[in-house]
Amino acid sequence: MTASHRSDQDLDLDIRLWIYRHLAEHGSAPSALDIAESFSIEPPEVDDSLLRLAKEHDALVLVPGTTSIWMAEPFSAVPTWFRVHGADDRRWWGNCIWDGLGILGLLGVDGSVETRCPDCGWPIRVQIQNGGLQDATGVVHFAVRAARWWRDIGFT
Amino acid sequence: MLLFRAEEHVDRWCGQRGVPKGAAFQLAELWRLAQHWYDDRLDHDWRRKSVAERQRILDSIGLTGSFWQIDGE
Repeated sequence: MTASHRSDQDLDLDIRLWIYRHLAEHGSAPSALDIAESFSIEPPEVDDSLLRLAKEHDALVLVPGTTSIWMAEPFSAVPTWFRVHGADDRRWWGNCIWDGLGILGLLGVDGSVETRCPDCGWPIRVQIQNGGLQDATGVVHFAVRAARWWRDIGFT
Repeated sequence: MLLFRAEEHVDRWCGQRGVPKGAAFQLAELWRLAQHWYDDRLDHDWRRKSVAERQRILDSIGLTGSFWQIDGE
């Protein structure tokens, strides 16, 4: 990949998609150095792009005070209580049960999301097979009203 | 958004933590929501869905009422 981008906007769009593809393929977020090398740009340019993607485009959530990727919804770049297993043996972390299922939906793959009941610790496995929910047990709880979801996305 | 074993577990967890109970519903609805909400994230020209677009998705799943209104964002 070469640095032939016409504008910051073009660069940001390319980097955003590259990050998503990396997460989809590897289950982990790329480092700033990975991005810099792939786009043949300097690390400060990567930092600037990541900050624009987070602040201007709402495309990423960064670890506060850093340019490290925390979330690229529905993916989490850090371990969570929502482990997603693809039927093709890929593994991801979801930010919540919604995002865990969102990963399987986005990638169009069968698989499962494993978590535990926050109340009693009982393990719960949600299985998607042939594109449909299988033998689903469990109740989803949204504590935060939709109007406030993005005020503190980490809590939501 | 968390997944509980059953609704009584939601009630107990909220009560023990002083968290007001929000909306509890079944996984089938969440699966429908999850499939639509993120369906454009691998598009090159992705942009964040507008409030109206997001509201339409919630409405289409049947998630209506004041709890699900985004426009106060």
